[in-house]
Amino acid sequence: MSDDFDRSMWRLLADNLPARAGKIAAVDQGRAVSYAQLAAEAGRVADWLARRSIRPGDRVIVHLRKGIDEVAAMFGAWKIGAVVVNVNIRWTPAQLAYVARDSRARAAILPGKVLEALAGDHALPQGTAYLVQGKAKGLVQGADPWGAPAADLASAPDEPDPRGLAMIIYTSGSTGAPKGVMLSHRNIRVGAISVADYLGLDESDRLLSVLPYSFDAGLNQLTTMMLVGGTVVHQPLTMPAEIIRMAQAEAVTGIAGVPPLWNQIVRLLVDRPTELPALRRITNTGGKIPPNILELLPQVFPGVDIYLMYGLTEAFRSTYLPPAKFAAKMGSIGRQIPNAQVFAIKHGQGIAGPGEQGELVHAGPLVSLGYWEKPEVTAQKIRPCPELAHLLGDQPVVWSGDLVRVDEDGDLWFVSRMDEMIKTLGFRLSPTEVEDAISQSGLVTDVVAFGVEDADLGQAVHAVVTYLPQGDETALAAHCARTMPHYMRPLRYHSWPGAMPRTASGKLDRPAIISAAKAALN
Amino acid sequence: MGLSKDNLILYIRSELNIDMPLNGDTELFSTGMLDSVAMVGLIAFVEDKAGVRVQPGDVTLENFDTVDAILAYVQSLD
Repeated sequence: MSDDFDRSMWRLLADNLPARAGKIAAVDQGRAVSYAQLAAEAGRVADWLARRSIRPGDRVIVHLRKGIDEVAAMFGAWKIGAVVVNVNIRWTPAQLAYVARDSRARAAILPGKVLEALAGDHALPQGTAYLVQGKAKGLVQGADPWGAPAADLASAPDEPDPRGLAMIIYTSGSTGAPKGVMLSHRNIRVGAISVADYLGLDESDRLLSVLPYSFDAGLNQLTTMMLVGGTVVHQPLTMPAEIIRMAQAEAVTGIAGVPPLWNQIVRLLVDRPTELPALRRITNTGGKIPPNILELLPQVFPGVDIYLMYGLTEAFRSTYLPPAKFAAKMGSIGRQIPNAQVFAIKHGQGIAGPGEQGELVHAGPLVSLGYWEKPEVTAQKIRPCPELAHLLGDQPVVWSGDLVRVDEDGDLWFVSRMDEMIKTLGFRLSPTEVEDAISQSGLVTDVVAFGVEDADLGQAVHAVVTYLPQGDETALAAHCARTMPHYMRPLRYHSWPGAMPRTASGKLDRPAIISAAKAALN
Repeated sequence: MGLSKDNLILYIRSELNIDMPLNGDTELFSTGMLDSVAMVGLIAFVEDKAGVRVQPGDVTLENFDTVDAILAYVQSLD
């Protein structure tokens, strides 16, 4: 089995040839490519990179809208053994310039409009090679149009060490500058093997890709389809109605989303039920879906398997709850995925047992190589676990910073980020618990709970909410008084006008929301 | 005050930080100029200014991809 782990990213695509040469690998709105065509497109990009003297190990920025070109750019870089740095297309020129400089990228593949914006303060070093997608008038020096590399020369691929660096995923730093998580070829491949295994994916599958490829969970839709020889269907638009329309038109068999997206999709499908006969499974990651939305999932997706998953970028993917347990354990993140070892650790004591809580730690072949050029931060986050020394010796594990509860069967439930726990009236309270209780009211769309230092209470519970048309503070306070124990009830409600800010991967931007609410207090 | 072509364009320019040429038939979402976060704000603005409720199923490219399409959609609600 582990022989299968040690293959390069380029092989993930190329191993489909020649057997699946004519099979459709990827679909955009109005365009589709076979495996042979995709490999040829990637080959063209690889030839261009080689011609511009990009060498194995060099970092290549890929900053394109979701689509076939983006996939070709990534595999093109992998073909020559370069390191892909996929920067979310929603990031600003300032963020892009930061990442390009931090990773010391030697080439960037991006739209012409973005290249124009990389001027002045955001200009990249002289000598950076640019491959420009779309209309490019008056290209700067060093830039070539997308069509410049003529035909695929079918050059021999580089054979990188599978344990070497394949990709850097920058996580938008809520605190401080973005950090780059380093993934090896092996990390990404084992991730694909593990996820394809528990989702039961095969070559008849057509997965919808909505989540960005610059995000570990989004990358999996692509890598699992390449692994099993299926088809990935791209939807760059995040409008729920367009996602469902495309899922129906393209007969997709799986949709992967994050909580705010499921929130919107469920509201749409309640309003306008849609039959998706080809759909076999949906998956969630990137946080907890509010309980009122979770309960509606089986109703709007009848007969579809629902997988709740959990992952850390630093360990790629970690746990999942099998669909058979969904009805009984709605909201649990389940247990370790195949090939991963996941534990809940009571600091200084040992492994948390049934009914206990502990910090989630992750060991095994999915553990990343750490943060790009930040050895001290890496040593803090990825280090041996004394409580597991009897099992793992001094093997490093990822310390998630997430507090989880272990239930009587050994399944895990997310409690809170450890540094967000609220200490009030002598209770240790999880903001998630408060948020779930508030969501149950059906009066709000978004909610974030947090603690504010308070002389009498230790910390006071505050909640920031975006009200639905039928909601207001009087109604919400009445709901909380009726349904929540006294220590859990917010002392103060902040009304957020409109939708709350989200990170580029679609999660609520909690630190930004909390600091705005705190600022309004003063 | 109502929803007009002018205040809609002004909103997109100022609140959504778009400094590219923008007129009634500029494609906003299909080109990637605006994203889902912008969409949520845009809907709230339209609902507020026009005094209408936008149903989730109506949030499509057909109804929202251009300023002209948004105005035509809002008119169809009256």
